[in-house]
Amino acid sequence: MKLLAHLFWAAVAVTAAFCLGGIALNRGEHINSIWLVLAAACSYATGYRFYSRFLAARVLALDDRRATPAERLRDGQDFEPTNKWILFGHHFAAIAGPGPLVGPVLAAQFGYLPGTLWIVIGAVLGGAAQDFVILFASMRRDGKSLGQMAREEIGKVAGFCALITVLLIMIIMLAVMALVVVNALKGSPWGAFTIAATIPIAVFMGLYLRYWRPAKVLECSAIGVVLVMAAIFAGRSVAQSAALAPVFTLGAMALAIAIIVYGFLASALPVWLLLAPRGYLSTFVKLGVILMLGVGILFVRPELQLPALTRFVDGTGPIFAGKIFPFCFITIACGSISGFHALIASGTTPKMIAKEGHARPIGYGSMALESFVAIMAMIAACVLQPGVYFAVNSPAATVGAAPAAAVATITSWGFPVTVAEMTNLARDVGEQTLFYRTGGAPSLALGMAHIFARGGGGRAVIGFWYHFAIMFEALFILTILDTGTRVGRFMLQDFLGHAWKPLGRTSWMPGVVATSAAIVGAWGYFLIQGVRDPLGGINSLWPLYGTANQLLAAIALSVATTILLKMHGAKYLWVTCAPLAWLVTVTFTAAWQKIFSPVPAIGFLAQADRLEASLRAGTAADVAATQTLIFNARLDAVLCGIFLVLVATILLDSMRVWIGILRGTRSARVCEAPFVLSQLRAEEL
Amino acid sequence: MRRLGRFILALLRELGDESAYQRHLAAHGRAHSGAEWRRFSEERQRARYAHAKCC
Repeated sequence: MKLLAHLFWAAVAVTAAFCLGGIALNRGEHINSIWLVLAAACSYATGYRFYSRFLAARVLALDDRRATPAERLRDGQDFEPTNKWILFGHHFAAIAGPGPLVGPVLAAQFGYLPGTLWIVIGAVLGGAAQDFVILFASMRRDGKSLGQMAREEIGKVAGFCALITVLLIMIIMLAVMALVVVNALKGSPWGAFTIAATIPIAVFMGLYLRYWRPAKVLECSAIGVVLVMAAIFAGRSVAQSAALAPVFTLGAMALAIAIIVYGFLASALPVWLLLAPRGYLSTFVKLGVILMLGVGILFVRPELQLPALTRFVDGTGPIFAGKIFPFCFITIACGSISGFHALIASGTTPKMIAKEGHARPIGYGSMALESFVAIMAMIAACVLQPGVYFAVNSPAATVGAAPAAAVATITSWGFPVTVAEMTNLARDVGEQTLFYRTGGAPSLALGMAHIFARGGGGRAVIGFWYHFAIMFEALFILTILDTGTRVGRFMLQDFLGHAWKPLGRTSWMPGVVATSAAIVGAWGYFLIQGVRDPLGGINSLWPLYGTANQLLAAIALSVATTILLKMHGAKYLWVTCAPLAWLVTVTFTAAWQKIFSPVPAIGFLAQADRLEASLRAGTAADVAATQTLIFNARLDAVLCGIFLVLVATILLDSMRVWIGILRGTRSARVCEAPFVLSQLRAEEL
Repeated sequence: MRRLGRFILALLRELGDESAYQRHLAAHGRAHSGAEWRRFSEERQRARYAHAKCC
């Protein structure tokens, strides 16, 4: 039996290596997506079976006899021992955001190979290990947050820096996610109507749950899903209506303002009215669509049309500028390694784990599954013809403001595409145009629609599936926006409450309105900046967001390293130090290049200098707009610098602690809760 | 298949807070009512929306 198991795992590992080798060495011909699926699935299985087992047994020494906080502090609400597979689904639903969908689509400009390798290797050796260690650490500390652990294990400076970093990252994240929605919905009456309809649907669900059928969440969500599907069908009629289409055909600025107003209202209104029902709806739709995409890829097994590597590995990419190193590794964060996961792994999940051993499938396994979602997004992007992919994702300033100019530029890169092809595709999906739809969401929706339509229905249903995918992406991005704005408001109120007590009270309306406006104003500013950016906004905001997210991962890994050092000395330091060293190298290089690169498309300061030169030469078309662009470029450079300083501070503070522990001049006492023998019965698990 | 169905339903009930509500009723020895649900869900949502959602 043991021999059979060894043979089985050897076969899985060999398949992983063979498929990874196959996709890495293949040149010049299209490969089937099943290669990526097999390479990823077998790598995750091997990583889970061997690496996570090693982490669980040797490094973290999980002990099922030890009572978890869910058992010791059981209160029936936050702390509750939960079945491990249910908690697995719960945790996966919490970590799976739009990041693993959008990041790989953008990184596909380098070809499918760099992104795929980073997603698989980064997740198996870095991201999943980070999530697992942080989940374990929080579980051993009664469910403490990352900030609390940073303060206790490293020091007050690290704790404070972590808090500021999280707030700044949230502002950038909200802006860039809002920009993705704006770019997906601009000039699209069908999409704008569908998303607008989700707001009254959510309010109806809120009222239904609160007054008409209290506690019937599944029933209410099923009604919500039916109504959203009806809204997608109705969207086609709206787009074809002479009276209604102009009402829902909105430009980028109008959409940005609408989203800013929505964010403000969602932050200030009672949670039950909008946020909570939207959250339920978004979670169920998200899980359903991810499942559908997985089944669709396995059923259709499409061929990848993008090459393994494109010419843009040299850093001249139209979607975002910069070479594979470091920009591929910050463009794909969620899906390989994401700092934000550390916030989730030190949030609700550690308070619900019934047995310590469950942390392995939940922490490591959930991340592996999310990484698989990123692989599916990569496949969805790469099934598009390369010319179509670049025509959709490239900004007008890079490829030419007229469709004819855009296709000429893209064809000259070696990716043939015609205006007629793009027009037909736009007509098929019920859009006026698909040119310059930057941000990743429209091309992902196109890829998903291709896969779903090939599963049945063909061209006749591609429009429905395209808007279904757009609805799915926008729905849960907006859920992040409204929740993030609210959380940002709480954090700001917490800060300001120290200066003036009433501002800290979450029930004091003037304080709520003022702090909501401040948070919305902050991310709204960057959103407007992205909308006005001639390069489409994604070129500047996504790398900024990716850098910030990876810097947060660096903070999480610093905390994890400190904890492992206290537990074992230097023995297992490499587990978290290796990914930490990689992330610090990547993010510091990326941030440095974003600030100081002499190439204006990459460096913020060079961009500001070029614009200033155009002002001096009198060649700037609009002086006021150019001055704003100069200010924005410098602001982005300053923000990037602040991120670097914050993380350097945490790193130096951590290193001070590590050296002290290794030299024996500092206490290596871990701040774990004391051992209590578990009394949980098997039927309670 | 039946086990898979039961698991999916249990997961959906957990994600939809229905299981947590049942636990809340059992823990506090209370019966279901509109007012009780509102009390429970307000407390739960307050805690949930104090944490950011993942990107």
